[in-house]
Amino acid sequence: MEPSNGAFCAGVDIGAVGAKAVILAGGKIVGSAVVPTAVNAEKSGLSALEVALKMAGIMRSDLKQVVATGYGRRTIAFADKTITEIGCHARGAYSLNPKVRTIIDMGGQDCKAIRIDEEGRVTEFIMNDKCASGTGRFLEVMSRVFEIPVSEMGPLALQSERMVPMSSTCTVFAESEVISLMARGEKPEDIINGVHHAIAQRVAGLLTRVGLEDDVFFSGGVAKNVGMIKALEEIIEKKVVTSSENPQLMGALGAALYAAGRIAQ
Amino acid sequence: MKATTLDKIARAVQERPEQLLKAREKGGKVVGYFCSYMPEEIIYALGLIPVRLGRGGSDDLVELGGRYIGKGTCVFLRESVGLFAEGKEPFSQTCDLVAVATSCVQMFRLAEVINHFFKVPTLVLGVPRNFYLPQGRVYFQKEVENLTRQLEEFAGTKLDAAALKESVALYRSIRQILLKIYDFQAADSAPISWREVFDVVHAGFYLDRADYYRLLQELLSELTVMSAALQHAAGDERPRILLSGTNIPPGDTKLINLIEEAGGRIVGDDLCSGLRFISGLTVQDCSLAGVADAYLDKIPCATLPYLPSLETDRRLENLSRLIDHYRPDGMIYHTLRFCDAFTFKAAETKRFINDKISFMEIHTEYADSDIEAIRTRIDAFIEVLEGRRRAKISKAATA
Repeated sequence: MEPSNGAFCAGVDIGAVGAKAVILAGGKIVGSAVVPTAVNAEKSGLSALEVALKMAGIMRSDLKQVVATGYGRRTIAFADKTITEIGCHARGAYSLNPKVRTIIDMGGQDCKAIRIDEEGRVTEFIMNDKCASGTGRFLEVMSRVFEIPVSEMGPLALQSERMVPMSSTCTVFAESEVISLMARGEKPEDIINGVHHAIAQRVAGLLTRVGLEDDVFFSGGVAKNVGMIKALEEIIEKKVVTSSENPQLMGALGAALYAAGRIAQ
Repeated sequence: MKATTLDKIARAVQERPEQLLKAREKGGKVVGYFCSYMPEEIIYALGLIPVRLGRGGSDDLVELGGRYIGKGTCVFLRESVGLFAEGKEPFSQTCDLVAVATSCVQMFRLAEVINHFFKVPTLVLGVPRNFYLPQGRVYFQKEVENLTRQLEEFAGTKLDAAALKESVALYRSIRQILLKIYDFQAADSAPISWREVFDVVHAGFYLDRADYYRLLQELLSELTVMSAALQHAAGDERPRILLSGTNIPPGDTKLINLIEEAGGRIVGDDLCSGLRFISGLTVQDCSLAGVADAYLDKIPCATLPYLPSLETDRRLENLSRLIDHYRPDGMIYHTLRFCDAFTFKAAETKRFINDKISFMEIHTEYADSDIEAIRTRIDAFIEVLEGRRRAKISKAATA
């Protein structure tokens, strides 16, 4: 972790679905929060930060540096600097495990594959095109079709004994494909297994394009999904590691580390 | 500080539509054309007024044009059709004839649509797919010859050898001076930006070519003076970007704005609306066949397939030359939605230049719906380039 002489610094990551904040002091996480992103991106970022500040037991004025990242990064007027989520996820993942060379970040609205070198610098990245396939939003839409919470999608996929192949990863088309599969009498867990594999296949395409190298780290909200981890491991034939705490915080952690680095300079 | 000649050029472009109307009242004829494979020298030599048509950047016009040319076609051509459908843009409205070099199938469709729906007389110039073979060369010579006959008929005059020679000389001088101006913008502390130069190139689509040449001479001398004053100025530290890919026509500033806002600095391009419009094109022999050969020997557009080998592909060779000459840190490769030719060649372009500089392809269109997603990609790319630069500096410091 970066030295920041014990000063408090924060990273705020405003994503499409969740706003996240991490507060660091002396290289340790002393506060963190995830709140749903509301219509106003800056307010969402602020409320995530407020929760994290409370946890750390400090005031906003105690923060020496704030770095903002994520889709809403430019709206954060109180940030000292903005850095893209690509740089921040890379920094966050590398700080947890310096052997990481490839990062998959699956968030609410996009998905990216990032390559880093032995010093943690980004050398290459690819983001999916402007559509929701292979993202948290896709899983959310699917969970609604099955009328289960999105958090149960992964565990249910693991119960599947056979995988029903899906041909669509387009959110709109996949929905009607799932409905017709259900009408055919396929078991929900087998279809859900198929949904996870279809996404993993797409992500594998991104990974091939940036060049896949061990260790592979999975960050973002979707990394909390055990079914997704398993499907990815099966398709890329490599072990996929993630954060034992909360992979959703990787971007905010990376931003906080950049903030700490700015104090150290 | 901005060169004052730039304001003069911008004013001249603003006044040009009025001038064209007056010229037409006196019997002048305006030939609007599409695609940089159109040999302008011939149009000019016949006493016709060449104007390069087409604009970008307006999603409303794209939608309007799409009603005629279809929703699944090139966004630039949809907007260009939109100009005819809307009937407000002055240059498309003052054309007596539209000439289209059909370097891609969508360009050919544009000619059909303008002719069928908007009743503007339209000529096409076939551009051979097998441009690198002798039979392709013969075909293009015949096409240029045939186009010239049709233009002669339209102008009511025969092409005069002396007039062609004069025209060829004027265009050569224009291209040479523009290349010098391009060098000024790439300097470490530059008296002019790439964007300003890009606009100057576009002014040449519209202005009377002799007036344009005089303005360019004035700009060149102004830049020479400005540049001398900048000798000891601090260098520009922003990451240097080479912009490649699909045509970026006048009006389309989306990608350029995003690159500048991210802290990047464009220092060169290989766009057919920029450097590729003026470089690698020298007419040696002042005959129709000579003009045809020169245009076919230009740096090829990605729409033209090239089978022999990547090593001898002049499009790629040119990129190497541009990298050496303009010293970019990274290349941003622009694929406009439905411009298949450029996205086809993105992967091989990346492989070809990636050991020299970083590469990123951007797929976009004129609509603003993807602007933040594109911004994230460009911001991240600039961060990567800045990171590399810092690493290089710290390596040099410890060595």
